[in-house]
Order: sequence, then structure tokens, then C-alpha cells
Amino acid sequence: MFNFDYVGKRKYFFILSTVLLLIGLVALIVRGGLNLDIQFRGGTQIEIEMENGDFDVIKAENIAKEAIGKSGIHVQKSYTFNPTNSDEAISFLVIKSSGKLTDDERNKVLDALKAEFNVKENGEMRVRDVDPSIGAELLTKGLLAVALSLILLILYIGIRFNIMSGLLAGFTAVVAVLHDVLMMVAVYAVFNIPVNESFIAAVLTILGYSVNDTIVIYDRIRENSRISRKDSIRTIVNNSITQSMSRTINTSVTTLISVITVYAFAAYNGIGSMKEFTFPLIIGLICGTYSSIFIASPLWELLKEKQAKRKASQAAKA
Amino acid sequence: MRWSSGIKFFLVLAVIAAMTAIVFTGLKIPNTDFVIPKAYDGIRYGIDISGGVSAVLTAPDGITPTDDELDTVKGIIDTRLEGKQIYDKTVTVDRVNKRVLVEIPYKKGGEYGDPYETIADIGATAMLTFREVDEDKVDPETGVYEMTDRIVLQGNDIESAVAETDPQTQYGIVRLIFSDEGAKKFEEATERLVGKRIAIYLDDQMISAPIVNEKISGKDRAVINLGFIDRNESIEYAKELAAIIRSGALPFKLEAKDVNHISPIIGESALNISIYAGAVAIILVWLFMLLYYRVPGLVADITLLGQVAAIILVFVLSGMSLTLPGIAGLILTVGMSIDANVIIFERIKEELRSGKTVQAAIELGFKRAFTAILDGNLTTLITAAVLYYFGTGAVRSFAITLGLGIIVNFITAIVATKIVLNALSQIRVLRKPWLFGAKGGTANV
Repeated sequence: MFNFDYVGKRKYFFILSTVLLLIGLVALIVRGGLNLDIQFRGGTQIEIEMENGDFDVIKAENIAKEAIGKSGIHVQKSYTFNPTNSDEAISFLVIKSSGKLTDDERNKVLDALKAEFNVKENGEMRVRDVDPSIGAELLTKGLLAVALSLILLILYIGIRFNIMSGLLAGFTAVVAVLHDVLMMVAVYAVFNIPVNESFIAAVLTILGYSVNDTIVIYDRIRENSRISRKDSIRTIVNNSITQSMSRTINTSVTTLISVITVYAFAAYNGIGSMKEFTFPLIIGLICGTYSSIFIASPLWELLKEKQAKRKASQAAKA
Repeated sequence: MRWSSGIKFFLVLAVIAAMTAIVFTGLKIPNTDFVIPKAYDGIRYGIDISGGVSAVLTAPDGITPTDDELDTVKGIIDTRLEGKQIYDKTVTVDRVNKRVLVEIPYKKGGEYGDPYETIADIGATAMLTFREVDEDKVDPETGVYEMTDRIVLQGNDIESAVAETDPQTQYGIVRLIFSDEGAKKFEEATERLVGKRIAIYLDDQMISAPIVNEKISGKDRAVINLGFIDRNESIEYAKELAAIIRSGALPFKLEAKDVNHISPIIGESALNISIYAGAVAIILVWLFMLLYYRVPGLVADITLLGQVAAIILVFVLSGMSLTLPGIAGLILTVGMSIDANVIIFERIKEELRSGKTVQAAIELGFKRAFTAILDGNLTTLITAAVLYYFGTGAVRSFAITLGLGIIVNFITAIVATKIVLNALSQIRVLRKPWLFGAKGGTANV
């Protein structure tokens, strides 16, 4: 394993992360916030099975809008493979309404579409109806979950890694995690991916993964600090990262293999829910690995040195 | 190979082989009732796979239900759905968010009708009232009388209700059983209102408005005619109504905040695809581990199989529902579960590089890797727990598979991998550092 000065070169990585996050911020501002899906914003989503995939989405959208005189309606196409005959694709027409549709409005839209398009007789249908209040609740609960996990993690690391000035180590681990979470938000903003329940699950998974990754390196720092008390903190951190490197990479590789496989299958077969869940996971896994190598421990070293200097100068004054 | 470690080695392999076999074929112990179905059929799937209806029901704005009330609501919903012949349902109380989740999967070949009607039916308070009516305030077309506030009897005056078939007409009817006080009230009212109508309402829906012919005394003399044209329909509805009355009134009206109706075909195809994806992911991870770590890699591959089988069996045996995010969580743990093994194997390689023998390196590798594995797994477990606590439905299922994966992973890495690896290292031919992924050819035995 070649020796790389992770601590010395940290400013380049800090700059890289800042630039990427700024791009995300710009995208967020330009798009006017994240693209919240039905689950968060409230509204109705209807998927109707069609005879075939030949239908004009824009025409369908206009028909749906006219049928009930509402403007906040968006129509998309989607497809999935037939479980009994995998050569055959089943096409769906997806109607998303930003306001919740009443039973009456829903039937009007369906009747209007049936009159104009090849809607399959007795075909499959999927309806989702969400009250806006529950979306807001889901979002608050999600943020609360992230906040609570972070606090618990700082406390846990604080207790288990007291040789590394526990709470400081907990803080830098959490900075690395926040970095990954923000990076995922940035990806959602840049690619305009709809944000739904699976986003929260993905964020929390990455939170766990990223901390786990950081902890393995911390564990090495903890061990090396006990063994070689003479070495500078900088050397210890650099050595610990290097010694953990093949583990860090191999674990990322095996996890990425699994998640990318699922993503590939979901994308090929048009399983939207799985695609939406695995894409942010892929981004998060890469960020999580990156941040535990280049952000968490180098940042800890920076703050630790500062703390040491401050203590030294205080001692000198006294 | 020493005897004790040999026995342990074969025991671990046998357990893993048995679990894997049960997952694929199921298990039936002859002459007993003990049966484990094969996993594909035996797992209870969430409605995103099986198709069906899910609904999040809450109290109307401004009402904060107590835990007791939520439990009552659950009991009533259970009874009402059973009254509709829907037994394969999940009704869960979410105490944190003060709501009730209802999931009704599609039954193969069965038809539940309009999911929205089902949800609306279970959300109704089902307050039964008997009211006097104003003869002139009636809808001429439907014969429905306007509700007055002159209540003769109400829900708590009724003890029970049974569905019966009218012996003369063969139509379904509902017989009410009054409480003592209810019987007294009814006797008094029927005496006073001879020749007039008493209308019976379920919430604000009029069910019937019979004319009182004479004074009626006794606890079980009141009968509701349902006014259906179709005989079978009236019998079915009588059963439903009796069940609704028996289950009692809800403490508050339930509002459906999130109704999700999924057709089974989408879910089934997603399930099959995730099984393929999972299989391919496992095979790729197997190859990677085998090529990179050689003998330990093979051990990791075997224990990985055991882990996945164990998690699947927990789902089969516990009856927890497996959702698509749950499957994603499972596949994610396939990747992550390797982590503990990777940490150990890297440590073993380091010890080999510093010139230790294979057996000493294994011993030290496990010892030194332990704290990293413990802390790493515990922190991930913390997030899985938080996810479970705050999450609903699909997210919860994901949290369960993730948490389960971490626990199973910890046990197999620390116990099973160690036993198998120790046993293999006692075989002289295998005792070469190269076979343990380290560079250099000769063994320092």
C-alpha cells in the first residue's frame, strides 16, 4: 500500500467537497427546492394499464386537465414486464395530480381517458391518495430521525473513543455523515429526482454505512494511539487510513456490487420504486467511502491539533 | 484436524446447509403438524408485492387519540374486516404518530370490490341510532327520512346483534339484542309511537324506517329489515351490519390520509426481478471474495449463504411482511455483511505479512478486528433502530431487514467464520499464506 499524505492534502479534498455541494446548492435554488413526490406534497397518483405503449402523453394530460378543470396535473408513461411472460411489457399511463382528487374527479378523469385512449379492459390500476398533512409529517419525522441518529452517534463515539477526545471524534464523524447526506440532497436537486419515502430510508442507510466506515478507521487510530504514543497525531492518522484502505475499498466494492446489480435489474425492467431507492444509495455509498477517508479523520486531526495548540498556549500563559 | 474443531466445523456447515435447503424446499416433519413452507410461498409479502390496499387512518384534525382509544379502534377495524370475510389483513397501531395502518392484500382469485369503499366502510364511526321521524320530511324518490334529533335509542343501548334469515321471506335480517335499559326505552317508545315510523340510522345513513304496529317488549324483539331486492345481497349485508353493530362504535371518525391501491401484477413482477437481482448480486460478491481472499473468501461465501438463509427464515417464521424496500435492505446487507469478514481477513493478511504462522495470524486477526466490528455494527444498529421507531410501513420493513442483517452478520462473522476458518487452517495443505490472500509462497509452519 503506497503512502499518501491524507492529512497534508486535506485542503484539496475539502475544496472539492465544497465545490460539489455548492453546485447542489445552486441547483436547489434554480429549481426552487427539491422535487417533492406525492408522498410529501400530497395529491393523487393514478396508474392505468394500457393496451400498448402508443399514446400521446401531452394529449392525455390535456384531456385529464379538461375533464375536471384543474391545472396541476402531470401525465407520464411507465412500463413493467409481465411476470408470467417476460417478453411482454405492460404499459402504464401515470397521472399525477398535485391536489388530492375526490372520488368523483378521479372517475371523471378515468372516463375521459377511456373515451380517447386504448385503456385495457379490466386492466390493472394503481391509485395513491395522500393528504398534504401526512407529507409534511413524514418530512418532519424524517428530519427528526436523522437528527436523533446523529446525536446518538456522537454520544456513542464519545463513550467508545475517549482516547481520541471522544466528543470531538464524534463531531467530525457526524460532519462526514452530514457531508454525505447533503451530497445526496445535491444529487436529487441536480438530477431533479422525485423525493419520496425511499429517499429518507436511503439517507438513513447511508448515515449508518458512512459512520460504520469512519469507525473502522477510528478504530485503527484508537489502536495505533495506544501502541505508538511517540508518533505525531498526523502520522498516526495517515498510517491508520493507509492500513484500513484495502478494507475500506473492498467493503465498498462488495456493497456497490449488490446495490448496482439491483439498480441495473430495476432500471432494465422498469421497476420505479426500486430504482428510486437504489440510485441515491449508489451515490451515498461512494460519498460515504470518500468522506470517511478524506474528510472525517483528516478533519479530526485538524481540530485535534488546534485543541492541542490552544491548550499549550493556555498553559504557557498560566 | 482436531476432533473438537472438526465436529464444530461440520456442525456449522450442516446448519447452513439445512437452512438453505429449508429456504428452497420447505420442511415437513412427518407425523407432526410442524411445517415450514418454502420461502417463496411462505413469506408474507407487503402489499407493494402482493398487491392490495393500504391506508393510513387518523383522527380528524383537533382530536388527539389516546393509546387506549387507538387500541379500541384497532379491535373494531379487525372485527369489521372479519365481518367482510377479510381475514388476511394487517392492522397496526402507530402510537408514535397516533394513527392506524390498515393493509389488505389481494387474495388470489378473491375479489374485495372497490378498495375505496372498503376503506370508507371501516372508517365510519358506526353509531347506530333509532330516531323519531317527521312524516313530511322525506325524500320521495329514495324514501329516506331526514334525521331528527329526537333519539329513541342509541349504540350503547344495544348489547349485540345477530344476522338471521327471515323464515317467511328468506331475506337477510339483523336481530338486535338490547340492554335492560335499552329494552325499557324501546318498549316505552313503541307504545308511544304506534302507527308511526322509527328510523334506524348507521351514522347519517338511514338503513330502514319501519312502522310500529304495536308495543314491543323484551330484549331481542327488534329486527331490522334491510330492504334489498336481491336476496343473497341482503343475507351478505345482514352479516356485515351485524358485525359492525357488534364491534361497537368508533370513538371518533377515521380519516384516510394515505390510500395506496396496488395491483398485484406490478408487485409480482417486481418480486421476481428482485429475486434475480439478489441471486446475481450474491454470485458476484461470492466471486469477488473467492478471487480476492481465496480460502477465507470461500469461508465468507459459505457463511454469507447462511446469513441470507437465516434472515429469510426469520421472515417465514415470524410472519413479518417483506416489502420491496425490505428486499433492497436484504440485498444491501449482503454487501455490508461481508464487511465484518473483510475486516477480519485484512487483519489476518497483515499478521501474515509480519511473519506470523497461519494459525497465529487467524487467532490475532479475529482478536484485533473485534472492536472495529463491534463498534461499526452497533452504530449501524442505532440508525436501524431510529429508522424503525420513526418509520412507517415500507421504511419499517427496511429497518427490520437491515437490523436483522447486522445482528445475524455479527454472530456469523464472530462465531461461524471463526470455527470454519480455524478448522480449515488445521489442514496442512491449506496452511499457506498465499491461500489466505497474502503475498509470498512458503508457509511458516
